[in-house]
Amino acid sequence: MAGGRAASGLMERVTPTRVPAAPDLERLRRDRIARVRDLMQRQGLDALVLIGNTNVVYATGATWPLGDPGRANFEQPVAVVLADDEWPHLFTPLPDDPGLPADHVHGPVYLDLDEGVRQFERRLADLVPAGAAIGVDEWTFAMSRHSTLLFGGGAPRDGGKVINKAKAIKTPDELAGMREALRITEQAIAAVQAQLAPGMRQIELTATFLREVFAAGADANTLDPIWQVMPPSMGEGPWTTHGDLACPLLTTERELQRGDVLWVDTSITHRGFHSDFGRTWIVGDEPNDRQRAQFDTWQAVMDAVLAVTRAGAAQSELTAAARAVVGGETPWMTHFYLGHGLGIDAAEMPYVGSDLGEQFDATHTLEAGMVLVLEPLIWDDGAAGYRAEEVVLITEDGWEPMTDYPYDPFR
Amino acid sequence: MSGTLTAEVVPDAAALRLERRARALAEMEADGIDILILGREGNARYVAGAPRLWTAGSRPFTPGCVLVRATGDVHLLSTWDEGIPDDIPHEHLYGITFNPMNMVGVLQGVAGAATAARVGTDSMTSMFAQLLPAAFPAAELVDGEATMRRARRLKTPAEVEEIRTSVALAERCLSAAEDVLRPGVSERGLTGAFMERMALEGVTTPSSQDVAWITSAEHPWRRGDRDALVRDGDLVVLSGGVVRGGYTGELARTHDLGGAHRAVVDRLGELRGALLAACEPGAPASRLLDVHRSAGLEPPPVPIARGLGLGFDLPIVSASLPATAEEDTLDPGVVFALTSYVWEQGSGAAIAVDPVHVTAHGPELLTTTPSTGSTEDPSHEGARP
Repeated sequence: MAGGRAASGLMERVTPTRVPAAPDLERLRRDRIARVRDLMQRQGLDALVLIGNTNVVYATGATWPLGDPGRANFEQPVAVVLADDEWPHLFTPLPDDPGLPADHVHGPVYLDLDEGVRQFERRLADLVPAGAAIGVDEWTFAMSRHSTLLFGGGAPRDGGKVINKAKAIKTPDELAGMREALRITEQAIAAVQAQLAPGMRQIELTATFLREVFAAGADANTLDPIWQVMPPSMGEGPWTTHGDLACPLLTTERELQRGDVLWVDTSITHRGFHSDFGRTWIVGDEPNDRQRAQFDTWQAVMDAVLAVTRAGAAQSELTAAARAVVGGETPWMTHFYLGHGLGIDAAEMPYVGSDLGEQFDATHTLEAGMVLVLEPLIWDDGAAGYRAEEVVLITEDGWEPMTDYPYDPFR
Repeated sequence: MSGTLTAEVVPDAAALRLERRARALAEMEADGIDILILGREGNARYVAGAPRLWTAGSRPFTPGCVLVRATGDVHLLSTWDEGIPDDIPHEHLYGITFNPMNMVGVLQGVAGAATAARVGTDSMTSMFAQLLPAAFPAAELVDGEATMRRARRLKTPAEVEEIRTSVALAERCLSAAEDVLRPGVSERGLTGAFMERMALEGVTTPSSQDVAWITSAEHPWRRGDRDALVRDGDLVVLSGGVVRGGYTGELARTHDLGGAHRAVVDRLGELRGALLAACEPGAPASRLLDVHRSAGLEPPPVPIARGLGLGFDLPIVSASLPATAEEDTLDPGVVFALTSYVWEQGSGAAIAVDPVHVTAHGPELLTTTPSTGSTEDPSHEGARP
């Protein structure tokens, strides 16, 4: 480990109650499949066919280092969940042992190719009867051409919704897994922050982050790390469709200057759990008074939002609390959200303050066991701004922090 | 030596992106597709030539790029114009949205949407199957992935050079992993060394993050715990890839730590030579499977050839897809990762992945350094070629 931040004991101050020190992966898998099957039965689905990488991870417990999205078209584990089977089936090209019964692990299928779909159709017919109600999360045209089981009655039902709903509420084992992913991320981030200095290039920060995050135990990096140098004024940044901030912008070989305001955003996976990390750093300098004031306002927004964050709160209570601090302005990126769920995906339901709209936020409530990433920002045109992310667990009576990474150099 | 990145985010070269777009438009014409809606990043990059934020793992279909046949116009999902080529005007950029109805509104604004008869997409979800008719009320929704695959299958000379450059970077990254390969290092440590070098060379996007594999002497296709440490006597596969300028460059080599598995490594070398020799222009793709069979070796459960380009390309040659291999030919202009695989009980697996370009004159290896399928013993300091 480079630097002293990690040695100071990241996440030692924070221990959410009811979260075990390490996940019990067998119990985690059993709990998930029970939840998925329960939702399937309520929706009258006999089977789910899942193709999306993270849906397969959730339903089967199988994990692998996620690759470039283009790989998924030839290297794509596929899950079949049956309403009357306590184990999911996995069709996989990967050499990893998924920990499923041997008769539930099958060789790969290629759903982008006609021949691959014809083969899958035969294997699916061994698992589900004709006329079964099957949900699918997404499909290829080869599937719609060659799968009568899926398309015999028109377009298949939406299987992705089942997983979206199931994964929103985290079990204690899932929370423990998420804590590991967050800790790994913050350990690597600490090494990057310790190294940050004028003259470094953005890609060097990425290089250090990638080296350290794998050393710390990550299975994969899942977001091209963001170290965006914020222009003092929005007008100095790129043109945008909405006239608001351009963020996140891609990392380049840009050399960092003393005083540059960096907006940092990273995400990794470990055992199928995504992390999220966001802070504002200043290169080689302490924040000036105006920047400290930005942070104070950001903290006030965060405090106001957290004050109303609890199970049963309407999402609109959070957005209203944030806006009230800044005179009705919208203190978050309008092309994203004030907050988003985290866990199996880097961003998943719930979305709070997105363009799904006010009505959506007013009619959707937080539930205990959700993990929410709150990411307000304070923009102070002429002096850039402050943005950071706080990861919290929603509880019956409020919330608990999932991490405690410091806000240096602001606090 | 650097990647494509500079201090600016820049679009793909004009000649490259315009030639690709023309190919896509020609295939749309052939299929009678009026509007093509692309969700897959490789397809969108092919048509638009704009780098966008990389994330790992598959994504469900969402309209990320729209190509209109009548005008050649590209509409692109990008909330800002950094890195966007000047042939995509501001009014054709549309922002990130979480609200599918807002996406429908964007699509309704595409010229010709109301009257389009055939709209192609590259995959589909239940939600968009229900919503797209609202944007394209007169249209039949058809397979646009097949259209894009035909456009992309044969690489232009400029594309081959792009892939060659990506491969060269992947080689240097793999060398960085080889430099730290010794007993006691972990698979993750090797992956980290690859990734660190990649980023230092200006590229922050891998194609695969499964760089090191301590193969099993007991099971032909099995990984152990990813925290396991390399030991003397292991057969270790180092396999890496980068996405640079959108183009994938990949390769893999096997290291025989301690040199106890010479026989397996030699068999790999023989197989690899025979497979490469079989990559003759016009040869049926199934010939690669024949080579495996005649060597008396069980092919791996993954494709032994898969296209290299922007994300996903043909050919796909796999023992489990015999009819596909029979129908496909290795035409000049295809570029693929060729996998040679040998496993022996008591030793482990030896794997080589070679990037191959089929030319009219025969196969061309796109690597810059001659790889032996790796017979060197990396436990000896200074053995790096």
